[in-house]
Amino acid sequence: MTADTSLSSCARAATAAEARFRIDAPVESRNARVVALDEPAAEVLRSVAAHEWAGARFFVCEPGPAGAGAGGEFLLRSIDGTPAVLSSELDGAHVVVMVATQDSGAGCAYAIGKACWERAVMTAGLVLGDGSQTAAVAALRPHARVLLPTADESDLLELLTALRV
Amino acid sequence: MLRPEINELLTQTGPKTPMGELFRQYWMPACLAEELPEDGCPPIRLKLLSERLVAFRDSYGNYGLIDEFCAHRGVSLWFGRNEEGGLRCPYHGWKYDTTGQCLDVPSEADNSSFAENVKLTSYPLVKIGDLLWTYMGDPATQPPLPEWEFALVPPEQTYTSKRWQQSNWLQAFEGGIDSSHVTFLHSGGLKTDPLFKGAKGNEYNLNDTKPFFEVADSEGGLFVGARRNAEDGKYYWRITPWVMPNFTMVPPRGDHPIHGHFWVPIDDENCWTYSFDYHPVRPLSAVERQAMIDGHGVHSENIPGTYRPVANMDNDYLMDREAQKSGAYYSGIKGIAIQDSSLQESMGPIVDRTKERLVPADSGIIKARQKLRKAALALRDQGITPPGVDPAHHHVRSAAVVLPQAEAFLDAARDDVRVKPGMPVASV
Repeated sequence: MTADTSLSSCARAATAAEARFRIDAPVESRNARVVALDEPAAEVLRSVAAHEWAGARFFVCEPGPAGAGAGGEFLLRSIDGTPAVLSSELDGAHVVVMVATQDSGAGCAYAIGKACWERAVMTAGLVLGDGSQTAAVAALRPHARVLLPTADESDLLELLTALRV
Repeated sequence: MLRPEINELLTQTGPKTPMGELFRQYWMPACLAEELPEDGCPPIRLKLLSERLVAFRDSYGNYGLIDEFCAHRGVSLWFGRNEEGGLRCPYHGWKYDTTGQCLDVPSEADNSSFAENVKLTSYPLVKIGDLLWTYMGDPATQPPLPEWEFALVPPEQTYTSKRWQQSNWLQAFEGGIDSSHVTFLHSGGLKTDPLFKGAKGNEYNLNDTKPFFEVADSEGGLFVGARRNAEDGKYYWRITPWVMPNFTMVPPRGDHPIHGHFWVPIDDENCWTYSFDYHPVRPLSAVERQAMIDGHGVHSENIPGTYRPVANMDNDYLMDREAQKSGAYYSGIKGIAIQDSSLQESMGPIVDRTKERLVPADSGIIKARQKLRKAALALRDQGITPPGVDPAHHHVRSAAVVLPQAEAFLDAARDDVRVKPGMPVASV
């Protein structure tokens, strides 16, 4: 005797009526660290940080000696100017989004990308501008699993919203 | 994740909706030319963008796409008699030409002008390539005819099929710009499908399951680059173009024909998936064409006389758990097209995007939704013509290339993603 499987068939399961029974469990937000690699990018972050976020923290990475702290720690500063240590900030982070507008952030991108790689933290990169920031794109490419060169500053807001951070 | 109101905005394409108005800016595939094979042939029912229509080819060879229902008593003109330059309702004999103009109302006096005042809604229907195209927007803003390469190459170089997909257009389309699923869902097909197998690029695909992505704006939409490791420190790039709102191409493999899709809303819970294959420089071989007819590659095996796939939700897509277990079909479903449609239909007619958990690898989808929303609102609020309407935006190709690590994919492959008539595609 063949079992009657009609109650679980794809045709029945794919209806709008059945879609109403999808379990409505809350979806947890993710922890993101959003890092500006230059000052104009920091301005964009300040604007985006003003929105309400569940799991996003915003930082600025300054290239050159400012990035390297005592004891070899790589230093950031939060969007309000508070110093922060990269390795500490990566604890518990699910994704790091690097944002650049200029070609000067290669050192920061390398350090952040390397630290994320060692900790298996997902990376993404936005290069904001008119398309002429080729060095910035090249610098981010090895370290960002996803890279968006874009002229649209709202892409950052859209990305973070879509990622539920 | 999308807010419910944004999900509704993007998925509703009926008249007077923002996305419906967006779609009505473009020439869209209405049906295959084979559906109206000869002058005076039977009419066909069509529903497009939630409007019920009938398409016919009159006795003089003119194509028409008009309101399905007779203006008199609302009879479906699918029952119409296609005779002497018009479609005649069999109920009381009212007759319409391909523009929807009523030509004859037999019950009226012989010299009556009544028929002149009766006109059904109609849209232009134009044959280009294997398709009949329509434009359902304001006639005053009708754009030039489309210039997609697959539709313009000689007939022997191209093949187009279609299948009914029982889901909203957006979740179907999103599969077309989601390169990361190929390594999993279609892994069996990369090894065995006659229209995919044998390409060097397949090895890169299968050997590197964690591609990097780069999403770049184009004039008509986006280019989504998926980067995998190749030899000698080089990268293998698969470049997928999306032209707004619903045209995508699949990056090529070896010398196989190049393929892509149009995802056309029927209503908000169904869409037509048009799948094309073409080769820019040579005729399709008999073996290739037969493979397409048989439902290989991006095509589907349909129930004879219909455009519904043989494997569909009513038969659980002919799920084969043994093939799933062995890896012959990663999901247990045979055929690349049905592998996609089965999963997309399983989401429900309109997937609830408030529940999804997107990851950075979904950035192409995130960006596409953003561009669609912005374009729909810019059209509604400011009357701005959206990207993809200009036929110059249609001159794109997908590409698969191996590049040095330092090279930006769009800089290095800019010529490769533009149509060069008579020139081969960039493929690995």
